[in-house]
This record gives sequence, C-alpha cells and structure tokens, in this order.
Amino acid sequence: MKFALFLGCKIPASVPAYELSTRAVLARLGVTLVDLPFNCCGYPVRSLDREAFVFAAARNLALAGAAGLDVLTPCKCCFGNLRHAQRFLDEDPALRQRVGAALAEEGLALPAGVAVEHLLPVLARTVGLDAIAAAVTAPRTGLRVAAHYGCHALRPSDVTRFDHPLAPTIFEDLVRVTGATPVEWPRRLDCCGEPVHDANPSLSDRLTQAKVDDARESGAEVLATACPYCQMRFTEFQAAGSAAPLPVLLYPQLLGQALGLAPRTLGLS
Amino acid sequence: MTQTQTKTWDVAVVGAGMAGMAASLFAAERGLSCIQIGNGGGLLFASGLLDLLAVHPVAARRVWDNPFEALAMIRRDQPDHPLARVDDASMRAAFQSFTSALGDAGMPFAPLGDRNASVLTSLGTPKPTYGVPRTMAAGVDALAGRPPCLLLDFRGLREFSARQIVATIGDTWPGLRMARVEFPGAEATSELYAAHMAVALESGEFRERTLARVRPLLGDARVVGFPAVLGLARSAVVHAAFEEGLGVPVFEIPTMPTSVPGLRLNAALEQAVVTRGVHRMLRVDVASTSFDETAVLTLDGVPGGQRVSARTVVLATGRFSGRGLSAGQQGVTETLLGLPVQQPASRDAWHSRDFLDPAGHAINRAGLATDDDFRPLDATGRPAWPGLYAVGSILAGQDWMREKCGSGLALGTARVAVDRIARQLRAPSGVGEAG
Amino acid sequence: MSASFLRMAFLVSLGLCALGLLWRVSAWLRVRIGSDARDIRFHQRLFAAVGGTFAALFSRRIFGLVKAKVLDVLLQRRLFNGCWLRWLGHLLIVYGFLLLLVMHALGRLVTAKLYPDYASTHDPWLLLRNVFGAAVVLGIVMVAAGRRFRPTSTPRPRRLGDKVFAALLAVVLVSGFLLEATKVASPKAFYRMANEYIGSTDPEELLPLRLAWATDFGVAFPDLQGTPDPDKLAEGRELHHDACASCHSPPGSSAFVSYPISRALAPIAEPLDGVDADTWLLYLHLAACFLGLILLPFTRFIHVLADPVSLLANGAASSGPLSPAGRANRRALAIDACVDCRLCDDRCSVAPIARSLGNPALLPSHKLLATHAVATNPRWLDRQAGHARRIAEGAVLCTTCGRCTDRCPVGIDLADLWVAGRADLARAGQPSPAQWVRERSALDWDEALAARGAVQDPIGPLSSNRETYSACVQCQTCTNVCPVVAHGGEEPGPVDLTPQKVMNLLRLGMVDLAIGSSMVWDCATCYQCQEHCPEGIRVTDVMLELRELGYRRLGDTRERRQPE
Repeated sequence: MKFALFLGCKIPASVPAYELSTRAVLARLGVTLVDLPFNCCGYPVRSLDREAFVFAAARNLALAGAAGLDVLTPCKCCFGNLRHAQRFLDEDPALRQRVGAALAEEGLALPAGVAVEHLLPVLARTVGLDAIAAAVTAPRTGLRVAAHYGCHALRPSDVTRFDHPLAPTIFEDLVRVTGATPVEWPRRLDCCGEPVHDANPSLSDRLTQAKVDDARESGAEVLATACPYCQMRFTEFQAAGSAAPLPVLLYPQLLGQALGLAPRTLGLS
Repeated sequence: MTQTQTKTWDVAVVGAGMAGMAASLFAAERGLSCIQIGNGGGLLFASGLLDLLAVHPVAARRVWDNPFEALAMIRRDQPDHPLARVDDASMRAAFQSFTSALGDAGMPFAPLGDRNASVLTSLGTPKPTYGVPRTMAAGVDALAGRPPCLLLDFRGLREFSARQIVATIGDTWPGLRMARVEFPGAEATSELYAAHMAVALESGEFRERTLARVRPLLGDARVVGFPAVLGLARSAVVHAAFEEGLGVPVFEIPTMPTSVPGLRLNAALEQAVVTRGVHRMLRVDVASTSFDETAVLTLDGVPGGQRVSARTVVLATGRFSGRGLSAGQQGVTETLLGLPVQQPASRDAWHSRDFLDPAGHAINRAGLATDDDFRPLDATGRPAWPGLYAVGSILAGQDWMREKCGSGLALGTARVAVDRIARQLRAPSGVGEAG
Repeated sequence: MSASFLRMAFLVSLGLCALGLLWRVSAWLRVRIGSDARDIRFHQRLFAAVGGTFAALFSRRIFGLVKAKVLDVLLQRRLFNGCWLRWLGHLLIVYGFLLLLVMHALGRLVTAKLYPDYASTHDPWLLLRNVFGAAVVLGIVMVAAGRRFRPTSTPRPRRLGDKVFAALLAVVLVSGFLLEATKVASPKAFYRMANEYIGSTDPEELLPLRLAWATDFGVAFPDLQGTPDPDKLAEGRELHHDACASCHSPPGSSAFVSYPISRALAPIAEPLDGVDADTWLLYLHLAACFLGLILLPFTRFIHVLADPVSLLANGAASSGPLSPAGRANRRALAIDACVDCRLCDDRCSVAPIARSLGNPALLPSHKLLATHAVATNPRWLDRQAGHARRIAEGAVLCTTCGRCTDRCPVGIDLADLWVAGRADLARAGQPSPAQWVRERSALDWDEALAARGAVQDPIGPLSSNRETYSACVQCQTCTNVCPVVAHGGEEPGPVDLTPQKVMNLLRLGMVDLAIGSSMVWDCATCYQCQEHCPEGIRVTDVMLELRELGYRRLGDTRERRQPE
C-alpha cells in the first residue's frame, strides 16, 4: 500500500497536526507515503478560471503518474477538486489537449489513470476495518463522537464515489472501529460553512452554529472531522464564541489514540 | 470495487423508484445477494402516502373502501392487469415488510388493515390511500370524526394555505378553523421552504419556540393539523414532541411535491436498502447488457468501467419521466433492453380527445407485457430471458394515477417477482439458470 | 596624498554611509504595512526595535537568536536548503569579502594588533589576500552565471545605483589585483623600498638584490635580461634574507592571481612605472572603496545589513510571536532584505496557476514589491492602469500555504506580509464580486450590464449548453436542500434568487440577472442541489461557471461606475 501524499496548502501551514497524525497512523498501519513536489490543487481558482484550475490539478496528477503512484489526500476539498478536474478532463477533449500541451512544456504528461483517494476510504477499504480493529490497543470506549461528513468528499457522488450520499456509513464505521460510539445526528451531512466564510461571514456562522448545536443536542462529546477546512471552521468558530466549546478532533488523532500512539506524534498536547 | 467485478449477484435491480426499492428490500429480506443500480429521483415527488388501489373502474370513478375487494374486481375484470397477478397474501406481506423497513429507517407508518383511509390534502380535498405515515394518521381520524380542529399554516410557506383548506371543506366541518403562525427566526423572510423548516424543527430549542407560538391558539381544538414540516430525518421524534407539547393529537397534511415526506421517503428507503446489505450503486447508468448463463450489465459512469454479473435481473426503470420508456415518433420503446412495448396501434390512438376523459388515455396503459411471474415477453410472446423480471409502473395494462394504485403496483409486483426469483434460484434446475 | 587625507576621506565616507544607513533603517520603523500597523506610532516602533532587541537578549528568545545567528547568518543554512550551488557562490562572496575587509582593508587596525609582525606582502597574508579575492571573484562568477540560467524574468529592475555599486565592487577587486600585480613587477617600488630599508638606490650596488628580486619576485628590471650570474644571485638572496624576507614572501606561489597578472604586465612595467600606475591604482582602489561605502545604503546591497537583521528577527520570532510593533518593523524591512533570489517563487503552490492565468502578480516576489509599493505610495495602485485587478487577484489567490516563508533564505515572514497587505492590494482590484455584489440588487446589476451593450451568453461548457438545464421542471428540490436558502443570505432573510430560479433564468436566457444575484456568490458549493436533482442537473457546477462569467462581467461594470 503506497501512495503519493497530497497535503494541499492548508494542512502544513494551518493544521500541521493533521499531517503529523496522518503520517503516524498510516505508518502504523503499514501504508507507505511518498512526498512529491505537488502544487496547489486549484481550488482557489475553481470558479475564477476553469482552465487554470484544471491545469493546476492536472499537474499534480501528472507528477503522481510519473512516479507511478495513486494520490492520497487527507483534505476533502483537495480530494473533491482533483476528482472534478479528472472529470472535466474526461468530458472535454479540447481541454484535455490544451492542458496536456501546457504540461508538456514542463516535461510532464497527463497520466493514464491516477486514482485520487481520500484518507477515510483508504483506511476503511484499502487498509480495511478488520486490519485497523486488530491494531487497536486502547479503544476509546464510551466516547460519543459526532462524525462530520461535510460536503466535498461526499458530493456529488458520481464524481467522488466516496460513499452513499444520502446514507453514508464509512465515517461511523471508522469511529466504531476505534471503540468510540458514533452518535446519530440529523445534520451530519450538512456543510460546515467554511466555503462561504469569505463571501458571507454571517451566513457561514449560522451554518456552523447549526452544526455544533445539533451535535451537542444529539449527545456528542467530540466532533470528528477529516478535512482541514472543516477542522479550522469548527475550531475558530467556537473559539470566537462564549459557550464551552465542543472538542473537535481530526479522525487520525482519534484513531491514533486508539492505536496507542503517543499524543505528541498526533499533534495533541 | 473488486467485489462487484468478481461476484455474481443473485439479483440485480435496475431502477430506484418505489418498485426498485421494494424489490431490493424484499430480495435482501429473502437472503438474496442484491445489487441495485440507478438514481433516486421520482421518489422525491412522493407524498408519503402509499396507495394500494382505490379506483376501479376508472371510467366510472368508483372509489373503494376496501382495496382488497377492489383487487378482486380487477382480477375478474382485467386479468391482464398487473395487479391481477398479485394475490392478497403477497400484497399484505409486501406492505407490511415495506412499512416495517421504513419504520426502522425513521419513517414509521400507521397500522395497516383492510380499509383505505381518507386523507385530507393541502387543497382541502379528501384522498383515498392505504399506507399512512404515522405523522399523518391522526388526520385520518379527524377527517372521519370531524372534531373541533385547528389547522395551522406558516407565513411565508406559500405552497400551503390553511385558509384554503377551511374554505374548501369548512362547510362540512363546523369545528374546523385556521390560524397563521410566524415561524421563529423568519420574521424578515417572505418565503419559506418546507424542508428547511423541517430540519429546523429537529432542534429541541427551536421546537419549543414554535410550540410557544402555537399553544395560545389552541382554544377548544381537540386535534391540530400542520403542513408536513415536522422533521426530516427524525419525524417521529418531532411529531411526538409536538403531541406532547400541545397535549392533543397532531397530524401532518401532505403538501405538494417536492414535499418533506417525499424527501423523507427517499432518504429512508436509501438508508433501508443500505442497512439491509443491498449493494447500492448511484449515479451510474447501464450502458449495455448481455444475457447468457448469467446476465452481465456493463455500467457507465464508474471510472475504469465496470461489469456486474447477476443471476436474475429486475427491471424497475419506470415510465417516461423515469426514462424506462421513451415515446418517439414511431412509437414507445423500452429504453434499456429494447423489449417490445404493448401499446396502441398508432399515435393517433394514444390520447383521447378529451384531456380530462374519465377513462384516461390509452398511452398510459402502454408498457411491458409479462407472464404471471412478471417476466417480460419478447416478440414471440415468451419470457425474454428466464431470469429477467419487470415490475412497477413500466408494466402494461395499468393506469396507476387514475386507479390510485401506485404503491400497490410497485410493492405488489415487486413482492411476487422476488418470490419467483427466490423459488427460481433455489430450484436445482428448471426454468431459470440457477448459478 | 597623505595618510591623513586618506584617513579623513575614509571617515567622511563612513560617516556618509552611516547617515545613509540611518535613513534606510528609519524607513524600517516608519513604513506601515497592514491595517494593524496603522495605529502604531513611530516611537513604539523604535522602542520595539531597540528595546525589543535588548529584551530578546535577556529572555528565552536568546536561544532563537543564537541559533539564527550561527545557522542562518553565519552558515546561511536557509540558503543551503534552497539551493546548495547558490549557497556556495554566495558564501564565497560573503566570506571572501568579509575576510578581505577585516584582514586586508582593516589590516592595520585588526590584523596588526593580533599579529604584531603583520606585513601585507608576507605569507600567509599574501596568500590569503589572493585566496579571498579569488573567492569573491569565483563567487561572483557563479552567481552571475546562475542568474543567466534562471528562466523567469525579474519583477524588480536593477536600478542605476545597484549597477554602479556592482561596478565599484568589480573595480575594487580588479584594481586590487592589478595594484598588487603592478607593484610586484614595478622597479620603482623596489627602489622605494630599497631606499627606505637599505638606504641605497644605486642600481649597481643593488645588483645582487635586484637579481634575486627579478628571479624570485618578478620585478621587471628592464636592464636585467637573460640568465643571472649564479654567484651574484646567491649573494642577492642572502641579502634578501637579511633585509627583506621578514616582510616579503615570494609571490610566485602565494599570489596565484596577482603574480600571473604581473608576469603578463612585465613587458610594460617600465611605462607603467613612468605613469606611477601603482599609485593611481591605489587611489582608484581606495576611491572605489569609499564611494562604494557611501553608495551602499542606497543600493540593494543594503541587504548586507538588512539580511542579518531579518534572520535574527526570524530567530527571535521562532521562540514566540513578536509584538505588533515588532511585526510592523519586520514587514517594513522586508523590501530591503529581499535580494530577489526568487527561491520563494520556485516553491510557490500557486505558481502553476500564475502560469496558466498569465498573471505573475501571484508570485511571492511580485507580491512583495506590490505590498511595499502600495504601503509607501497610496497612488501606486491607481497608476497601475489595468493591472490593479491582476495585482488584487495575486493577493487574493494566495493560499497562505507558507512554503515561500519556509524557503526564504533571508528569513522574511512572507506569510505575515501577505495577510497584512492583502486588504490593501485587493482594494482597488475588487477581484471577488462576492464581497460587493450586494451593493446592488440583481435587477440593478442586470440594468447596469444591459447599459453596457449586448447581453453576454453563458460561457462555461455546462451553462452554455441548453441540454444542461432544459430538463428542469422547477420542482424546487434544489431550493429545499440548499443551506444558503435555509439560513438566508446576508441577514436572516431570503436570498434574492433561489437555485431553481437561477436555473429558470438560464433557460430564459437571462444570464445577466443570474450573475448579479447574491445566490451565485453565497453558494457554499455543498453540492446538495446537484446530488438531489431528480433530473441530474449539475446545479452547483453551473453556479461556479456563472461565477466565472461574473468575475469578468461584473468587475468591468463596477470599475466603470467607480466615481473615484
């Protein structure tokens, strides 16, 4: 099990714990990660210039393809974005041709088939729930966790193929395997509010508030995320508020604890 | 996704409307391995009510209190009607199993019996149906008994007017009155949408604020009716909370599509099939099929292509809006397999001159002809493939909208087909190719 | 020219240099970058700079400072991590020059104090001077060659001062070697020394010594040709050993740069002597040094002061965040610390986007200039005629991934600069209608766009294809699952156009009305609509395409309407 690790722009600078914990957990589970000189997935220009977005994304795919590796990313936005770029390239031969030519100027080529995967499906399906369960030494028994799916990995399901878009189970399965108890909460598939944060901060706050309130009301002790944007949103939003915050954990931090890894290696104090 | 590439499924269901979902549920219940392909969509337009059979004959507009008696009439009058091939026991079992699965998925139904129920619609007219969601059950009793009743609507929810209902039915229901409520937090809004209200009401704090505005309006009402906004994923919880909070029975009134009960039904069925272990493939199309020892479906939309191998196939692709059938200049075709479609001889005969002809239009009865086991027939009049079954609205000889038998058609035919499949697969040899 | 004149010239140059440095350094305390710097007064900045430094020395920041000093300033670790070849070239220049400065230029003040028998013509000083000088030359060659091979064009043009300084540096090096070379070969110099230390200038009397010096030291006596008499040579060498050797080492092995030059110059040694070439070269050498000193603060070479300061500030900041005043200082000094190495551009995550958009304003090297320019000159953006939007785009599209900051060899906190400068850079360019589309209603925008002329057709592959949304039956499913509609636009209240209304407008060809609606810009891209649509309409993808169109159309319209 070997992947090119795509961290994107947010994780190294803003959520370094996610990189730490992802590497620690995957190392423990026997997944090899390779670092390539990736660039931004193209998300910032997704709606500004389609060509630039696809080119940026395609360059990453080309690098992975040249190394003969599939891509694993812990960021749901990067995941969705890279997959969308693949779709646009498949649908639009003229675009494909132009992007291929631009890449050729750097000595790169569009790869035949690079799979883009998110951390959660790699854990649940490639590594496998059974293998993870066997490696758990310190189950988080009794911890009630609200698993936050968010949007960009789950939808649109024809692009992301992450899980069933209306009735997904992958995140709850992964929570359960750590020994913790996933709670049912109606808003689990709702958006965290981050994408609209710049354009409309008050709308973003309302979205986030609804999520946090719902998680709390459903009896969650911890909110689990698997995307740096969602993590940042929940953390920063609650930090700005006055109520006692609901702790927000990145999934590999939760899993890492269950695997008996030292908190320091997971970015936890 | 290697699982689906190497495995041969017992049943492949193509279609995710009422019939497709029912077929998957029943197959899983029977312990058959099942893969279901197709997108939900039409289910979103459902009202939440499950119609078994209410009108027969259509031309006479005769409405039946007892759907099973109506079934018996159909068997006598129209032996080629799909419902004529569904026995009472199968029909009851189908509804029982289906509503039980929905109940497990958060959308419980009122107990089923021998009678149709009359449900008040948002137009103020009564509608006969069989399966009633529990959130709407008290409305059936209210419509029957006509006690003092308060109907509420919300300013901004434009699709629903309690005043309209009172105006329509008020003179036969003296104790019926209406009141308008301001939805909490919506003071600055002029337009509300049912689904958002439903989700908002899943918050306890929000419910309390709403109930606080309703309580002063209760008066002597012994039952209260709301538009169908009482929760989305947790309608049972929200409904119970309203009843407790108001101290009287509460009922939802089904609203126009796309309604909250339709969204509930869609989500609940998807959840139910996944929970029962059906392998669900959304957002893929079947590009081509081949039938030999097994059926092989080649799928479009899955990266790298994918083939599904199955011992039996259930075609539940629906009619025109579901794209199971396609109406063209030369006639109606069945889109997936090109099966012959039973239809009027010429296009001129499709429609009656009178748009509102009580007898309906001949085109609505076009569809696939099948044998008694619901296997569609080829041009020679024999089953096209031993393991191929067709269920639901794609079938010929029915007019489900006018007969008010949409769910009866879907659930009943699916039940029978799956029973036949189970029998076929367990037979060591025989008509079907058991793997 | 007397020694006292030279001393005076040196002091004057130093003084002017100091004044110049003071002036430049004051800019580090004055320039305000970022809204949080606006209210900080000069004295607070001064206090942060001076007081903060002292405080740092006596706090735990000392560890960061020491580490920065050793690893980053002295060993230039950050540059090494960036490109070891560049590091090598730069180190050769820096240490070559520094050591020349200390050992040779300040020989009398420094070296002589440490080594009382210091004589510049003696080894190891002679050898070292050549080594250091050669190192500088080699380093310069490496750096210049490196710039030749880097494909990207520089955003910062070389100013006249920089070119003059570089020329002066070259003059110092060349004149230095030439001076040494001419002196080596100069008979006049020999006679001067002989007069002073032996007391004779008679060529006959000094013949043995002259023979020794001609043979071993390369003095080009015109009358000494052919093989010297071995006895006389031996005598001369003995005399040299007594009288000269304590101060003179044979240049043949040590002065590996100057000596070959002197050999080349030997044929014209006499005419050179005739014009006192060595003296003029000395004056040239000194003049270049003094002029360079005066000029230094006004050129890019101020980085020799700014970079260590920047790296030390970086080291201090590694132990804990600086005060707001300290941060403001650090930002202001960035422009002087930056040497345009463009290692930041190489690492920039959005460089491919910059390339695809044809907008280099996204790159850190450009952003640094723009950030500084807009802070020092309020009119600068206005004068960018048409580029304001590209500059704003550059500011806004940065993902603050921090890779440029990690890489910067001179320790500039680029990430902080981007955050601080973003608002100012974005101001005139208005890159995102999302921020200002609500100034007008969708109907108003539609009118404004109509006033511009023909209606624009949708441009994206989905929105320009009728098939995309012709199946829309206005079932309102998309609207019912949309969180933006649920939570309501700017205040609690409705969005002006719900998703299904936007689809309908497209069907009706009323694109301009759609792109001016707040729905398009508030869309959270959660894809609920696209996922649920019973007809499989790609609602969200269409929204994103409308945004792309909106960036182009709305921006132009707004700019034209700007009163200022």
